[in-house]
Amino acid sequence: MAEIDIDLIRGLREQSPKAQRKALERYGNEVFAQVARMLPATEDAEEVYQDVFVKVFRNIGTYDEEKSALRTWISRIAYNEAVTWLRHKRQAVIYFEDREGRAEQLSDAEVEETLGHPNSETVQLIRAALKHLPPEERAIVTMFYYEEMSLKEIAYVTESIPTTVASKLSRTRKKICKIIKMLQS
Amino acid sequence: MTEEKINALRQADANLRDALKMDEAERPQMPADLNERLMQRMATQEEKKPRHAIIWPWIAAACVAGVMIIWLTPPKDAPTDVVAENKPKVEQPKDNNKVEEPQVAKVETEMTHTDPTPLKVKKAKVRTTVVKRDAALLAQETKAEEPAAKPVVDEVHKDLAVAETAKPQEKTVILTERDIPITRPENYKYTPEEIALMKKQANEAYLKWAQLELEIAKHNLEQTAQK
Repeated sequence: MAEIDIDLIRGLREQSPKAQRKALERYGNEVFAQVARMLPATEDAEEVYQDVFVKVFRNIGTYDEEKSALRTWISRIAYNEAVTWLRHKRQAVIYFEDREGRAEQLSDAEVEETLGHPNSETVQLIRAALKHLPPEERAIVTMFYYEEMSLKEIAYVTESIPTTVASKLSRTRKKICKIIKMLQS
Repeated sequence: MTEEKINALRQADANLRDALKMDEAERPQMPADLNERLMQRMATQEEKKPRHAIIWPWIAAACVAGVMIIWLTPPKDAPTDVVAENKPKVEQPKDNNKVEEPQVAKVETEMTHTDPTPLKVKKAKVRTTVVKRDAALLAQETKAEEPAAKPVVDEVHKDLAVAETAKPQEKTVILTERDIPITRPENYKYTPEEIALMKKQANEAYLKWAQLELEIAKHNLEQTAQK
């Protein structure tokens, strides 16, 4: 672990406002983006963002540097706060649910062709399809492809195991393809 | 699917990565003052903390005080028992007088004739004073009307002594509102003597008030004259 991180963690444990500001500067934008992509409105994201850091500053004593990096630990808190918020608010947002397992019937070649070959039109379709994904699945996809987190880290954030994350990712890829096909038809 | 395969997909799914990048770029930025608001919230929450620390000792003290009040308050039955215990002691002098009946019948009859009501009132009031007043009355009457009734006077003195010895014992008695004679229904009416005394005191008080008013008026007149 870098010496800067050690100093930051020590400062946070001492409840130093300077260290708290530093943590906000370093991880604030990432956390806000993570929360904002899961929640429907920016105002909600602001509220949850504050709750996340209040929790971080209060529970820094429970943070174990051997288990995860500070960034991953904060990300885990943010993910849980956003999921809890969504469960409590129960806002009427419609997502695509593949109850009949039609997406599973798609072949790997079909999925690779849709997601792999560079095509600006497909990119726009994927963007549209991403909006129809449930927030938890969308968060996992973003963590993997955009934030480039490892399966182990994603598993830590979502409180599951890497194999579960892998199967969820695979299922989500197929789901995106299914949605694209639905949008095209 | 193995971890290696999944990790390989990260590089392969170019369209998906691009789509996500574009989405993230279009996402609204974090408000500039959000961190400041958060720090303010943290500060206000920290200020609130000591309040709890101050309130709890007060609550605890109030609880202790409440328990002490409950513990120190005597039970409702206790005072009545005490009064019942004291009754024979207080009535002792009266009984003694009755025993003396055959010896000084004349004095006794005079006592009963002249003052039957005060005895009742005295009985109802605090016992020690009752005994004192009885004794004093007896002494006065026997001196004025029956100089030969000296043994009775001696007896009265004895009773006085008994009453005085009984006094410190009664100090320890705890009286409730129920035990105050004036709250008893049988003692609602004042005796003629008491009424006369109250009238006298009222007259005196009125006279004093009038005098005081006169003095104030005089003083005011003097002051205005000086001015």
